Amino acid sequence: MPEIAIQHINKRFGKVQALKDINITVENGEVFGLVGPDGAGKSTMFNILTTLLKPDSGEVEVLGMDVVKDYLQIRQVIGYLPGVFSLYPDLSVQENLAFFATMYKSSILDNMSLIKPIWKQLVPFKDRPAGKLSGGMKQKLALCCALIHKPKLLFLDEPTTGVDPVSRREFWDILKDIQHKGVTVVVSTPYMDEATRCDRIALIQNGEIIKIDTPNKIISNFRGHLFTMKTDDIFGLMQLMEQFELRCNYYPYGEHFHIAFYDDVEKALPAFEEFLQQHEREHGEIKPITPNIEDCFIELIQMK
Amino acid sequence: MKELRMILYKELIHIVRDKITLFLVLAIPIMLVLLFGFTISTEIRNAQIAILDQAKDGQSASLIDKISSSGYFQIVAYPETESEIDRDFKEIDIKLALIIPPDFEHALEKDKMATLQVINDVSDLNVASILNNYLLAITHDYINEYNNMGEETGSVEIVTNMLYNPESNSVYMFVPGIITLIMIIVTALMSSITLAREKETGTMNMLLITPVKKVYVIIGKVIPYMCLSLISTIMIIVISVFVFKMPVNGSIWLLLLLCIVFMFTAASFGMMISAISKTQIDAMMVTMMGLFLPTVLLSGFLFPLDNMPMFFQVLADVFPAKWFIIAIKDVMIKGSGFFDIWKYLGILILMAIILITISLTNVDKRK
Amino acid sequence: MQSIVAKDLTKKFGDFTAVNHINFEVEKGEIFGFLGANGAGKTTAIKMMSGLLLPTSGDALIGGYSIKTESKQIKKHIGYMSQRFSLYNDLTVFENMQLFGTVYGIPPKELKQRIHDSLDHLDLLEQKNALVASIPLGWKQKLAFATAILHRPEIVFLDEPTSGVDPIVRREFWKLIYRAAAQGITIFVTTHYMDEAEYCHRISIMSDGCLKLIGTPDELKQQMGVNSIDEVFVKFVNR
Repeated sequence: MPEIAIQHINKRFGKVQALKDINITVENGEVFGLVGPDGAGKSTMFNILTTLLKPDSGEVEVLGMDVVKDYLQIRQVIGYLPGVFSLYPDLSVQENLAFFATMYKSSILDNMSLIKPIWKQLVPFKDRPAGKLSGGMKQKLALCCALIHKPKLLFLDEPTTGVDPVSRREFWDILKDIQHKGVTVVVSTPYMDEATRCDRIALIQNGEIIKIDTPNKIISNFRGHLFTMKTDDIFGLMQLMEQFELRCNYYPYGEHFHIAFYDDVEKALPAFEEFLQQHEREHGEIKPITPNIEDCFIELIQMK
Repeated sequence: MKELRMILYKELIHIVRDKITLFLVLAIPIMLVLLFGFTISTEIRNAQIAILDQAKDGQSASLIDKISSSGYFQIVAYPETESEIDRDFKEIDIKLALIIPPDFEHALEKDKMATLQVINDVSDLNVASILNNYLLAITHDYINEYNNMGEETGSVEIVTNMLYNPESNSVYMFVPGIITLIMIIVTALMSSITLAREKETGTMNMLLITPVKKVYVIIGKVIPYMCLSLISTIMIIVISVFVFKMPVNGSIWLLLLLCIVFMFTAASFGMMISAISKTQIDAMMVTMMGLFLPTVLLSGFLFPLDNMPMFFQVLADVFPAKWFIIAIKDVMIKGSGFFDIWKYLGILILMAIILITISLTNVDKRK
Repeated sequence: MQSIVAKDLTKKFGDFTAVNHINFEVEKGEIFGFLGANGAGKTTAIKMMSGLLLPTSGDALIGGYSIKTESKQIKKHIGYMSQRFSLYNDLTVFENMQLFGTVYGIPPKELKQRIHDSLDHLDLLEQKNALVASIPLGWKQKLAFATAILHRPEIVFLDEPTSGVDPIVRREFWKLIYRAAAQGITIFVTTHYMDEAEYCHRISIMSDGCLKLIGTPDELKQQMGVNSIDEVFVKFVNR
């Protein structure tokens, strides 16, 4: 039995169709990522999975329980880390944790095993008001509060938004650790580069699922060919590219110029080189590079 | 139960750590009462009055003498008829007119009971009330002296007529009014704002996805602010009674019961408001416009309800403040007992039950 | 020509040194990335550079104006766009641009022309009278940028300009930024997202109030012997 089975769900807010016919299955013990830009429907999805919202149609089962009928039972076995900091800023670190522990009829000591590595980092600040912690520490505290009742499933809505790269990396390591302790993790992120941290991801855009697979498979299924080269006056080249006739995608990337060809790369690449020569463009070596999830995302959207 | 205790504890921390709000909630009621109290007790000297002496006998002459020598009053007119009194009020702006009946001496000596009539300009309620008290005191003095002269005892009854503002029959109306406002602010406003704050910061969702009973969340919010408001109320009553000699003619326990019931209704109002508002600003605006303003305008404590158009009189029935003010006046001033006011208590409790039901169904409304 | 020249720029709050003698220069038309962990002093440095905060010592020239003595001039010559606040949702596209343009003292006729050109370039002319609330997120972002450079500032400060934006829109957005840079507007980007940093011509990393690293993305990667700016950052901080 899958941990989460989502079948044909739709959700509409007024004129906006927030979710369109979503189907997702999340397996036991995996880190599943919901990857997509702001406004794609990630938070709506999370609100349905955490029983805060009902879908308009379709069925969602979390641990075999229906999110509409059995919502009270589901609430006891899931942990939730919302997208915005949702603890009491005037309560101290310890008071917050004790509060949520009591809400789950549990106590801090009962469930130390799961949160111990995180809690250890928080102990020096345990009397500080939660509102005065740094961004990374706030997230760790929120994570402790979400795990205090040993949930089987942990939902994290954009946990790394606004967190600096070092803390972000640390946070992902913590999630791996939680996964190894037997908790299934569902996480959303707008950052394509974080997708590779998940076992499987669903790419979501405008309320629709574009693709569900492992990050590696998504990258290896990239159909185009991506190249990079160094050149001066990238903007000038971009303007020039409007005259280039073959189908391609190009974009500036720091000192580099990236270009992806989709059909018949054997012809396209020499054509591009010729084009550059024609217009007397100086450039460095044109090197093939591995696409990242963002490249794949763009390709998948354009293929639709 | 452990969860409820925890929620209460958490709420207590919020209150204690928010020093500014705590200070305001506790200090403002005291300041209000002191402000009203001291304004009320300001002494007035040489108030211009008119006396219509219909008796023109020895007793009336010596009473008038006593009044004019008291220093509080300056008799500026001796009208001959009641219509002349009216004229004096309008033209020479007298504050009060005293009418001594034709048979004053006879009534006092033979019937042992005379009636004086006082007409007040109540457009300034405080002044009118103070002057009445002075006049009452002077008359009583006069009767006491008369009695002490060895004659048989007699007494004087004073009938007052309020001009321009007939509903207001006591300055002490302000105390019930302040109590009402404070309870609305502290219980309804504070609890609705703090609940809206939890929605705004997302902690409401965190609470909702825990298995904790929603009733606990609501009760946990209401009780601390009720306690805070009860403390304020008790302070107001204590100051009114001991500093300003406000009478509490009814049972003090009944008074407290009444206040607690009203607080409960106010808190339920707050809960309902926060159920329909998403942000603290919303909650504040709705409480101010939807509850505070109607309380000030339609409770009858500043503006008499009887003079209002029918629509507003009916509207006033919907807000709890009207019923509370009637009841608290009855208890404090008339000295009414439980069986006189149970109807009002019933109305307040009924309102609270309806409001709480609405907010409970709204708090975890999954759409 | 330099758009930004910081000379020993320092800010102390009591005993705490938020910005500690930083020195750097940014060329006109350069896209400059300004990175650092939370609390590294980035915000303080930017506040000083935009004329909101006086330095304790040192100085910086922004478009040739000193932040110590000419902060009024600086405010006229910089633009600002953040992911969080950018436009008023309850005003139309045109009204928003008109408002910000007027604030910067662009004469009405000129302003109308500039708004027209700018919307034309973004292909948003048809949306001119639409409420900002009703247009898609990605467009808003582009519009916010166009509004921030409407008064043709010398420098525009961008705070996480494309985080959370749809990848396609994001690439279009970067094209806009490159275009503005090519027109001579200096772009100063602050961000937590290292893939945003990769788009910059040069980047700097602040830590503990000091500017520790500065160079092109390639140079920094080589210097640290890693493949991405993300790794550069992590390696640098853990050092």
